[in-house]
Amino acid sequence: MEKINKIKNIIQALGEHEDSKAAIELLTEMGTNSPDDEIREYTAQTLIRKNTHEALRVVLISKGKGINDLSARVAMASINELLALKDKKEAVKILDDTIKMHSDEEVRNTARSVRALMTFS
Amino acid sequence: MEIGKISLHKTTGLKKAEKSNNKLTTNPFGVSFKGNVIQADVFEAGKKSSPVNKIAEKSKLYASILVSGINNFNEAFKSRINSVISFGKKMTTDVMDTLERIGNTEIKFDMEGIKNKMFPDRQYSVKQLSNKSVGELKSLWNDIETTEI
Repeated sequence: MEKINKIKNIIQALGEHEDSKAAIELLTEMGTNSPDDEIREYTAQTLIRKNTHEALRVVLISKGKGINDLSARVAMASINELLALKDKKEAVKILDDTIKMHSDEEVRNTARSVRALMTFS
Repeated sequence: MEIGKISLHKTTGLKKAEKSNNKLTTNPFGVSFKGNVIQADVFEAGKKSSPVNKIAEKSKLYASILVSGINNFNEAFKSRINSVISFGKKMTTDVMDTLERIGNTEIKFDMEGIKNKMFPDRQYSVKQLSNKSVGELKSLWNDIETTEI
C-alpha cells in the first residue's frame, strides 16, 4: 500500500474515532500542517464531515487551513465539502462570527465569500 | 402390486377374481400375465395337454418363475439395503465421535498475527486502524512519515 493511502486510512479512522477531541487535535496537528496537498485536502474534508464546532473552527477560521489554505485545490475541496453538508447551521454560525470578529481581513473576506455561497446553495 | 406387465393380487383381488372365474381357486397366488389372470395351477400335474395347452402351461411356468425371481430379488435387495443402512449408521457414529473429539480439542492460532504477516498492509485497513487509540494512530502516522518515501 502506498504511503498516501496509509495516511488517508489513518485520517479516516480518526474521523470515525470515539475519542473525537483527541482525534481532531491530531488531525489539526498533523493533517492540516502536512506538506502534502492531498493529505491537507483529505484532512479538511474529514474535519468538515465531522460537523462539530471544534472541527469546523479549524477549517473555517484558521489561516492557511481549510478554506483559507494557500492551495486552491485544498480550499475548493473544503468549500465543496461545506456545501455538501446536510446540516449547515454550525458552519454558518462560525462563518458569521468570523465575518464579524476575526482580526485578519483576508480570513474575513474568505468567510464572507463562502457564507454567500452557502446562502445560495 | 404391479411389476411390468405382471400383477400380483392380494386376498381382496383374489376374491374379485373368484367371482369372475371359479377356476381361479386352483391358482392360490392369483398370478396374472399380460392382464389375464392365470387360471390353472402351474404345479398341477396329471393333466393331459395338447401342444396348445403345453405352450400355455409353459407361459404359466415362466410367469411363476418370474414371480419367484422377483421375490428372490426383493430378498436380496432387502439384505443389501440393510447392510448399506448399517454401514451408514456406523459411519455416522464414527463421524460424530470424531467431531466430538475435535470439539474437545483446544486449538489456538494467532490469527491476527498470521493475517498481518500474510497481508502486511492489512494493519493499515480502516477497520484495523479504528480499533487503535489516537496515540497509537499518531505514532503510526509518524512512523509512515519518517520511514516511507
